Amino acid sequence: MSIRIGIMSFAHLHAEAYIQNLRAIPGVEMIGLADDDPQRGEHFARLFEAHRFRSYEELLEAKPDGVIICSENSRHLPLVKLAAEAGAHILCEKPLATTAQDAEEIVRTCRQAGVLLMTAFPMRFSTPLLEVKSRLDGGELGQVYCFNSSNQGELPKKHRAWFVDKALAGGGAIMDHTVHLVDIMRWYLGSEVSEVYAVANRIFHADEVEVETGGMVWVTFENGVFATIDCSWSRPPYWPSWGGLSFEMVTERGAVWVDAFRQNLTVFTHALQRPYWAFWGSDPNQAMIEDFVQAIRAQRPPRVSGEDGLRAVEVVEAAYQSVQSGQPVRLQRRAL
Amino acid sequence: MRVGIAGVGFMGSTHAAAWAETDARIVGFVAETVEEAQPIAQQYGAKVFAEYAALLDEVDVVDICTPTHLHVPMILEAAAKGKHIICEKPLALSVEDALKAVRACRQAGVHLFVAHVVRFFPEYALAKQIIDQGQIGRIATLRLLRGSYRPKKPVGNWFLDESKSGGILMDLMIHDLDYARWVAGEVESVFARKVSAVHQGSTVDYGLVILEHKNGAISHVAGAWAYPPPTFRTRFELSGDQGMIEFDSQATSPIESLIIKPHSEAPDVGLPSSPVRESPYTTEIKEFYAALKEGKTPRVTAEDGLAAVQIAAAAVQSARSGHVVVLESLAEGLS
Repeated sequence: MSIRIGIMSFAHLHAEAYIQNLRAIPGVEMIGLADDDPQRGEHFARLFEAHRFRSYEELLEAKPDGVIICSENSRHLPLVKLAAEAGAHILCEKPLATTAQDAEEIVRTCRQAGVLLMTAFPMRFSTPLLEVKSRLDGGELGQVYCFNSSNQGELPKKHRAWFVDKALAGGGAIMDHTVHLVDIMRWYLGSEVSEVYAVANRIFHADEVEVETGGMVWVTFENGVFATIDCSWSRPPYWPSWGGLSFEMVTERGAVWVDAFRQNLTVFTHALQRPYWAFWGSDPNQAMIEDFVQAIRAQRPPRVSGEDGLRAVEVVEAAYQSVQSGQPVRLQRRAL
Repeated sequence: MRVGIAGVGFMGSTHAAAWAETDARIVGFVAETVEEAQPIAQQYGAKVFAEYAALLDEVDVVDICTPTHLHVPMILEAAAKGKHIICEKPLALSVEDALKAVRACRQAGVHLFVAHVVRFFPEYALAKQIIDQGQIGRIATLRLLRGSYRPKKPVGNWFLDESKSGGILMDLMIHDLDYARWVAGEVESVFARKVSAVHQGSTVDYGLVILEHKNGAISHVAGAWAYPPPTFRTRFELSGDQGMIEFDSQATSPIESLIIKPHSEAPDVGLPSSPVRESPYTTEIKEFYAALKEGKTPRVTAEDGLAAVQIAAAAVQSARSGHVVVLESLAEGLS
């Protein structure tokens, strides 16, 4: 029996990847998409030759097994409510929400409705990161001491204007680029964040946007591990790729440098007049979407949970508090 | 001009080689023991002094390359005798001591130059020049990394004694803390952590520092004594609103040696090296020498050395307390 999946909103550009990921999985039926912006919905329905439902309600009436929610960050909660009510399992784009309050409500809603909730953290499926995780678990790296990490990118405005709209995105670079590394470290360490310090500025693209474009977030874990995350939109538009995710992990035996997107060809073309990186590594999105589908099929929890999404949002919220106060913030974890 | 060199470890011998390329005369060396200084004195046809005071009496300038905790008393002694001073970084282990040194030299009317050699490394100097030309616009974020293995010493490893070296934040990371200030200007606040403060007895150390500059720029400085010998790696990424500069010592190394060595020995301390015509240490000493002869201001001054100590000391304090340290003005302490 095929697993039927629909996509709710194409506000987030990752929907463009996910739709293709879905279609690449045998036994999955991509039933179509719906978007509250009819023009955007029509555009992507045409582009991907997909069925467009006239509303989210209509999509859910088609009784999909699961949905992927790719709306603007602040609009995840209402779509989660609709989908959960309809009994559809949910893969929600990151960050899970723009506030810890909303993220908690998302997790609770899905629990009450008895549907699976997965947060879209594809880095958990990145093959280089999985390799490091297995070395870590195998004990060959010893105890972890700290991380020096980066998830920098270009200004995402050129992909979607809402990414730099505080009301819809929830913030700027900190909101956009903190959660992946927080999640990776929680996953690696099996420990929760206890303290957050952050600094931010708006020097890159100062005349184009009102949210922070430069930022460094400092997280300390309950087990004593400390880490910095450079979340800046510091990559110029002519950088060879959109950005990247890399970290140095220091352990009692030395250090490991990891770049999740280094498996590239460097390509020079007359057309572009600058080099670009063509990724030949394994697509983490594909593996993530496959896990979502398998979780639905087996009725088991997906490898990334809603709680994982919530914990990352809590760190982001604390980071903004720290930017405001100029002081480290003790993290208050929400009980579930 | 007559030069005396105090300390004959790696830095003393490196500076001696640099002085030998100027027309200054190396008069002599002083070390902890006379024996230690014999070979290098012989090499440069110079004397060995048993006492620092005796060396001072015969020179115009003294180059202090001793362990950090000895810098300030030696500076004070030289200044009292009216001698110019070149001092290895860090200038001192505390702001108070650094101020004392700077004030004493001002009062004595002698020059004091602090050997923040990173400013003389061609890759760092060029990046600064490109930024000053405005090529990458207004600086927003700086990322600096300097990584090596934990310094070893046959006896009495003063690097690992924090009361003598200040530890990784003060000894190693002050290079990049100074560079960050040189490039992005005065520092407003400092937040830092280091592994050895969390894990007593760890065999590796690693420090992280975030600086907020007064102009809004943010610096991220990382320092490692964690890599396998003989690794020495430096990296930086300087981003402005009109562009960015990247550097990685490994990526820009023009030679990759895949020679099999039966017994590979690493030096006591990791050393940065890329083949260039003139050693950055020589460039540094030549510039200090020219400044002494011609009264020109070199690219790094006593006040810079003081400011670097203030940032590094704030990092040490932050790593210890867990709090953000806001820097105070040094103007009052200098007057």
